[in-house]
Amino acid sequence: MHPFAELSAYLDDALDPTAKAAVETHLDACAVCRTRLAELRGTARLIAALPAPVPSRSLVPRVSVPFWLAPIRTLATLASAAALFLFVASALLAGAPSGTGGGAAAPAAAPAPYAPNAGGAAGPTGAADQRTLVSASASPAAGFAINTPGATPAPEAQRSGQTDATKAATGTAAPAARQEAATPGPAARALGLPERPQLGPSPWFWLALAVGFGVLAFVLQRRLRGT
Amino acid sequence: MNGASGEASALLVEQARRGDARAFEQLAREVERPLYRHALRMVGQVDAEDVVQDALLSAWRSLSSFEGSSFRAWIFRIATNRALDRLRARRRHPEVPLDPPTEEDNDRSWAEPAAPGPDLAEIAGDREALVIVEQILATLPVEQRAALLLRDVEGFAYEEIATITTVEIGTVKSRIHRGRLAVRNALVARGWRGPAG
Repeated sequence: MHPFAELSAYLDDALDPTAKAAVETHLDACAVCRTRLAELRGTARLIAALPAPVPSRSLVPRVSVPFWLAPIRTLATLASAAALFLFVASALLAGAPSGTGGGAAAPAAAPAPYAPNAGGAAGPTGAADQRTLVSASASPAAGFAINTPGATPAPEAQRSGQTDATKAATGTAAPAARQEAATPGPAARALGLPERPQLGPSPWFWLALAVGFGVLAFVLQRRLRGT
Repeated sequence: MNGASGEASALLVEQARRGDARAFEQLAREVERPLYRHALRMVGQVDAEDVVQDALLSAWRSLSSFEGSSFRAWIFRIATNRALDRLRARRRHPEVPLDPPTEEDNDRSWAEPAAPGPDLAEIAGDREALVIVEQILATLPVEQRAALLLRDVEGFAYEEIATITTVEIGTVKSRIHRGRLAVRNALVARGWRGPAG
């Protein structure tokens, strides 16, 4: 009687000593069982040699990250975007246009906003955003401008700031009459220029808030992604 | 595979049991790929990643109840159960393709080679043979498949497989043998012959 059913367990050294000895005795005398054993060994080796597939993504749950981190990240992103919107809106509503044509270059001279992940509104490429602000303030209605031709552009906006300023100056040159009647905006107040009464916080407050929330969202995003 | 990192793993397991999430994540990273390849051959590509993620999350939540000596066997038990649950759920929803039968099939006989072919011992690493092996594994009853994979791919001992699949060791022995015999027969049916025959 061939011990076929025992051969796999024998191959895996999973038989008790008595059964193992019995199989070995049989194998010594039985060529058929030796063949079967060799076949099973070859089969087991083939199965062991199967390629090891790799998952398409990490499957390890990020249990070391607090559950509230993701919603906070989302809120910070939204808050940053909202603050940026308020910054632009309050800048536009702060008053009538002020100063001469050169004043329109002011936003380019403002501290460069650095708000990564801030709803896409203020990316790390500050220069591009500066251009947006410049064109916004270049419209006749925009009164938010630092009326200081000598203001130093922020590092990120240094190169583009000059050309933007030129463009902006051209844009604001036409409504010169209105600008003459205008009162200096809140930024001008910060520079010690004549003050105009204003409701709500300074636009700079909103910009600082946008930057703050943007940085927070960026940091949380890095934490969530892991190292 | 198990022994070399056993000491370090034991330390990590103890830290994870005390609530150290980073220790658990490291443990999970060590078993992630083995769990995935096991799950992939149990439930297929569509569900394999979900099964592993579910299993790891479940392991983290119930880690305090882990009292065994082998974290690897424990996590494989959870993943195997998840995979079997997934297959059972599929059977309740017939729109999903059928899986192999779950019942232990009848005793298989040893198929004889139809014609002389390459030596089984010579085809290890042969891509064609590996494809055939994958195909026949997919047709095995899931219990046989699980036992065979746990033994030949993951290298678990029969006792561990009995614990992982919650059956008697005699059943494990039978499943592994039948599974191997089915793969062997499929290869022989394609013209291969045994090394000594």
